[in-house]
Amino acid sequence: MTERFTTGFHPFVIPFLAGMVFVLGVCLIKAVIAVRELDGTDRKKWFLSLLHPNLIVKNTIDIILDCLIHVRLWKRNRLLGFMHSSIAFGWFMIILLGHLQVLMFFPERLGTFYYPIFFDYFIEGGQHTWISRIMDGFLILVLAGISLAIIKRFWSRIFGMRRTTRPTLYNLIGLYSLWAIFPLRFLAEQCARAGDLSVSLWWAYSIALCIFMVVLPFGRYLHIPAEMLLITFRNAGVGITRPHKGMARVQADSCPNCGVCIDACPMNADPANLKDSTVYLTRQFRRGNRERVREISDKCLLCGKCTSVCQVGVDGPRLRILARAARKYNIAPDFSDAGTATVVRAENKVLYFSGCMTALTPKTGRSVESILKKAGIDYEWMDRDGGLCCGRPLHTAGRLKEASQLVRRNEELIIGSGAAVLLVSCPICYREFKENYRLPGIRVVHYADYFCELMDKGLLCFEKSDACYVFHDPCELGRGCGIYETPRKLISKAAGIAEAPKNREESICCGGSLGSLSLDFSRREKITRASLENLYGSKADAIATACPLCLATFSRYSDRPVKDLAQIIDEQTEKI
Amino acid sequence: MNGNIVIIGGGIAGMEAAKALLALGHTPILVEASRTLGGHVASWHKLFPDMSSAKNLTARLQSEISGANIFTDTRVISLNRLVDGYSLKLSNGIVINASALLFATGFNLFDAAKKEEYGYGVYDRVITNSDLEAWFSGKEDRRVPKVPESIGFVHCVGSRDLKACNGQCSKVCCATAIKQAIEMKERFPYAKVYCFYMDLRLFGKKYEDFYVNAQRDYGIQFIRGRVSEVGETFDGRLQLKAEDTLSGKPLKVCLDLLVLMSGIVRNRSIEELSDMAGLETDSDGFLRSADNEYAVIESNRPGIYYAGACTGPKTVPETVAEARSAALAIHSYLESL
Repeated sequence: MTERFTTGFHPFVIPFLAGMVFVLGVCLIKAVIAVRELDGTDRKKWFLSLLHPNLIVKNTIDIILDCLIHVRLWKRNRLLGFMHSSIAFGWFMIILLGHLQVLMFFPERLGTFYYPIFFDYFIEGGQHTWISRIMDGFLILVLAGISLAIIKRFWSRIFGMRRTTRPTLYNLIGLYSLWAIFPLRFLAEQCARAGDLSVSLWWAYSIALCIFMVVLPFGRYLHIPAEMLLITFRNAGVGITRPHKGMARVQADSCPNCGVCIDACPMNADPANLKDSTVYLTRQFRRGNRERVREISDKCLLCGKCTSVCQVGVDGPRLRILARAARKYNIAPDFSDAGTATVVRAENKVLYFSGCMTALTPKTGRSVESILKKAGIDYEWMDRDGGLCCGRPLHTAGRLKEASQLVRRNEELIIGSGAAVLLVSCPICYREFKENYRLPGIRVVHYADYFCELMDKGLLCFEKSDACYVFHDPCELGRGCGIYETPRKLISKAAGIAEAPKNREESICCGGSLGSLSLDFSRREKITRASLENLYGSKADAIATACPLCLATFSRYSDRPVKDLAQIIDEQTEKI
Repeated sequence: MNGNIVIIGGGIAGMEAAKALLALGHTPILVEASRTLGGHVASWHKLFPDMSSAKNLTARLQSEISGANIFTDTRVISLNRLVDGYSLKLSNGIVINASALLFATGFNLFDAAKKEEYGYGVYDRVITNSDLEAWFSGKEDRRVPKVPESIGFVHCVGSRDLKACNGQCSKVCCATAIKQAIEMKERFPYAKVYCFYMDLRLFGKKYEDFYVNAQRDYGIQFIRGRVSEVGETFDGRLQLKAEDTLSGKPLKVCLDLLVLMSGIVRNRSIEELSDMAGLETDSDGFLRSADNEYAVIESNRPGIYYAGACTGPKTVPETVAEARSAALAIHSYLESL
């Protein structure tokens, strides 16, 4: 193995080097901007996390698993997983082994950067080392991935994707240059190995690399470096606290535009909403199109399904809530002295908070009360005659200050009651209590969990009915708070249970969500009907849910009975 | 064809049309699904604005159509279109070939339990307009207290309400609520009576007088604002929350009885039949008239006519007028064959 040229240089390496300098410079600047935009405490947390040995290991493992192997994508779609990991991991290994090869055999050339990239041009007989053979193997792997990518571009249905994003010009340039890089490298290497040292293929290879790197910061491929930063941010516990900035920017940049969220989005039951999925939100974020960002943010139901299917963990709902928070209102209601209602006394008892929506579905509240009585629980109903809102609707509308005023008032009322347990029947309230309330010493529990405990303790005596229910996972209860099992356990005690094709994390929003600020009634109907179609797909003859809003929404259009979980339990239990 | 006329539905529309057709020399066949004739009106106590007895009206009509062929407790189970008419099979096994059909299939009352926030079927003191009429007519109802101190009426329950999947105005409930409020006030002079409305649509002859009387002579209180929710107090009374949109303030009222003005919705049980006949449905869910200005009683099929609330909410005088006009139209149609 010998060097062909003593100079070790040819002008065709210049495009590659220029692209490399450009992309590294831009990414560095972007990273510095994002870090500077973090809140002071978050920034400190992040710096410290980079020194923490456990987090260093975790960051490394996460980056390998998520960015190179694409484990999450494998779980969702094996073909897509193979395609992405073969390109990412294959390419990474070629770069790594290439540098290793130069380090082992020509350590003095390591500083050139371009030697590993154009190895076969500068070195004669390089292909005979073991390391070269492994690299050839990885190149074949990458080429296989690229072939799949080309097939997918024109025939995405065989990958199980109904809809995919329309690429922008930058993305198209990036895509075609990426496709060109590896076949060109393969051809150039093969020619060089056969003794043909014409430089045209090497020029083409270098230019393809240059184009790819130059468009990288402007298109979807920015997700490659951004996701690495995102992983370190996430592991350090950095959250989205500012609209458009800091973590929000990094999340938007980390979106690979894969379009998995388009098929997942429940709004797409109506084609008019096709351009309002999270993938388009991040795209408009990057473009700085504030008007479209506002429009997309306002429309969303905040069901969280895009986040549950997202490969990089872009938090679509949170991005939108903060985008909404950036809006200025002329009138700001003041709730800081709201709630003159006297504090309900409930020393060491269960305090039941039913919430505003349950006031509109009184059967639910009554059933909860009846079950508590049957089980012999000592309780007080905090808002039987009306109470304060939990704050969730203001929170999702982006009116964070007003929401926190309500939260603080409710905290005072709840802590003042002396209760030991706060029982909640509405998952919308429950999520707010879980995420934004500080109630030291008080256990906050949703009735599904609580009644399941009562059942396990033998305090509820069930009689199984012949009916068969399909359980609709409410967004806030399932994806929002991770409660999937206890409702099913309770239903299976009370009656038969069947599953809908899409359930649990993949459950489809009922369309009634408080999350959307701009979807009007008729457009919600389409979403509701699509969600009902999914539930009709089970063999059940009735629908069960555990959210007053889902209940009211489904009851409107459903051709079969819809009941709240509490009502089903109440009907099928007897006093012991 | 034989010149047979089949009238589907034996409410006041069907009966009035039968009467008019008898007078024109025909012998119509009247098919009614329930056991008795008279439809919704037969279960009503008094009619507005003259407070005449609804029973007298239906009984008189019934006596006047004894010459017609009447099948009660009978449904049309299939309907075939022939070249020059229609062939109907009834649930009693009879097959009729008819030259002309009259749809007088009426309406359904909105199921008030669907508006769960009003508590119908949940709380003991909530009834509907039709429950109250039945009680007026002497039917026992333990939900109506012996001496109520305060009574509330909620207008537009399931009408003009997209959330209840009914966008249209039911037309008659404003006047019905006023009529029922007056009747309650007459029975319980010391009770406070409230009407919660979003608009008062008192378009008919003497309706406005009715409204003025209710306020001036009976002291019934009209509050503009939709009821948001109804709860139950510990002693079994009702607590109603609403907004008084004229004063811009939320309000809470304690009630002993709440009456929900269930609106008029399309009769779902005729969907299959209208499909078999090839009739079209309008955007509001009711049967579609040939046009809504000049030809309300005409359908898109030759020989099929409409009368009454099958094409949308109607008052009694409108229904009766349509029935007579449809009878005349059928007569002319048969003459032209």
